[in-house]
Amino acid sequence: MVASLAKRFGDLDIAEDAAAEAFTVAVERWPLDGIPPNPGAWLTTTANRKAIDRIRRESKRDDKQKEAVAMHDDTPHEPLGAIEDDRLRLLFTCCHPALAPEARVALTLRMVGGLTVPEIAKAFLVQETTMGQRITRAKNKIKAAHIPYRVPEAADLPERVSGVLAVLFLVFNEGYLSSGDHENSVRGDLTAEAIRLTRLVRALLPDDGEVAGLLALMLLIEARRTARVSATGELVRLDEQDRGSWDLALIAEGHALVRERLAAVANGGSRPGRYQILAAINAVHTSVRDARDTDWSQIVALYDQMLRVDASPIVRLNRAIAVAELDGPEVALAEIDRHLGSSLDDYHAFHATRADLLRRLGRSGESRAAYDRAIELAENAAEVALLTRRRDQLGR
Amino acid sequence: MAKYLMSVWGPDSDYEKEHYGYASQEEMMASFEATGKFNEKLQQEGYFVFADGLDAAKTATVVDGQGDKPIITDGPYAEAKEYMAGFWIIDVPDLDVALKLAAEASAACLGKVEVRPMQTGPEA
Repeated sequence: MVASLAKRFGDLDIAEDAAAEAFTVAVERWPLDGIPPNPGAWLTTTANRKAIDRIRRESKRDDKQKEAVAMHDDTPHEPLGAIEDDRLRLLFTCCHPALAPEARVALTLRMVGGLTVPEIAKAFLVQETTMGQRITRAKNKIKAAHIPYRVPEAADLPERVSGVLAVLFLVFNEGYLSSGDHENSVRGDLTAEAIRLTRLVRALLPDDGEVAGLLALMLLIEARRTARVSATGELVRLDEQDRGSWDLALIAEGHALVRERLAAVANGGSRPGRYQILAAINAVHTSVRDARDTDWSQIVALYDQMLRVDASPIVRLNRAIAVAELDGPEVALAEIDRHLGSSLDDYHAFHATRADLLRRLGRSGESRAAYDRAIELAENAAEVALLTRRRDQLGR
Repeated sequence: MAKYLMSVWGPDSDYEKEHYGYASQEEMMASFEATGKFNEKLQQEGYFVFADGLDAAKTATVVDGQGDKPIITDGPYAEAKEYMAGFWIIDVPDLDVALKLAAEASAACLGKVEVRPMQTGPEA
């Protein structure tokens, strides 16, 4: 509703306030008058009137708003499709490249996701006032710089969709990576919110391979969420997870999306991008009931494909982890020491991976040093717990 | 429609260099030509309001007329590493159009371009 109001009135504040007022009126009146036959339409109509009232009250009538008042006063309720289109427009506006990346994430959660400012502030571990200012500044820029409420033209669409997906993946990761921090459950809700918004984008752009890929990736990661942290709050690696507690419905849905993309690519569709490849890797992991049955050669091949899309050190590190399973820890260790030592020295997963490989090679002293460094750099409590136990189990 | 200032920035010392900070005479001439073509295109599309290059910041004069008598000072308003070296004023439907034009402007003039909205509201 906020999305459709924003489009009509070209002002996020008016849209938000009008929606909130309409809900307030509903809460007051529906218990007395009874719930109207079409509550959604009632709310939209009421919110429209409130928005028009407010514009009149403040006589903030620049031409666009005057036009909006003229055109939309007492308009009939729009069909659902139009409302969903408005949400998509709003999503593209919130993820506009002219906004700072952290503002895109916050604005998307506020305007499209409907989270409150305190919730978003808590999820991103910043002060409420800071988050409030960040969102206000972004809204002001949208207005002052005339960032349009529009689905971009076909020529710009791939790049802009990839911007939207990057924001949604950030939201998801923020929730997922914090899933061991029990004190902060709001952050966990972010994964659900990211999935919900990605489903929306998928409904609106059903033929976009990367949208399907990202949704599949999120579903396949989300399916393992409860298995990822032990009862004692320790991170559980993929090979040690209780696969019986994985969410089979989410896995089935993720696999179906991956199969759909494989078929599309086989039929001459565009080459898969990063999300589709990552989804395929996760599909391989989740297709066996026993970690020992994992098809590591396929996973290494998928990482090779990933390197052609994104030759980053982190992708190389993940490939090396798969290589360790296929060709042994010695090969993997040589590879990461040769290529990645300088670029990933500040990355906890680099040291955690080295520690694990060294442990498997019986090089306890070096392994201990690598665990120490990984623990020093890791931020997630569940991960620190796992690394600490592994380190303390090392023989002398 | 909405108006934007598109500005190009550079160090004032560029004005004293042989090719005004361009790598060579050829590069400078090619850039001037590309910029000229870009301006023509802006005019054809009806987005052009005004455009020009600025002379060196050290040729600027600051005037403070708030007191009884204007105070005149030699030099730019503020000391800076880089100053505005040229600008366009465009009138376009929205920021997406402005950003597209800015990318073309940047490629033509061989510099980064700042896009800043004018405070006056859209003229519908």
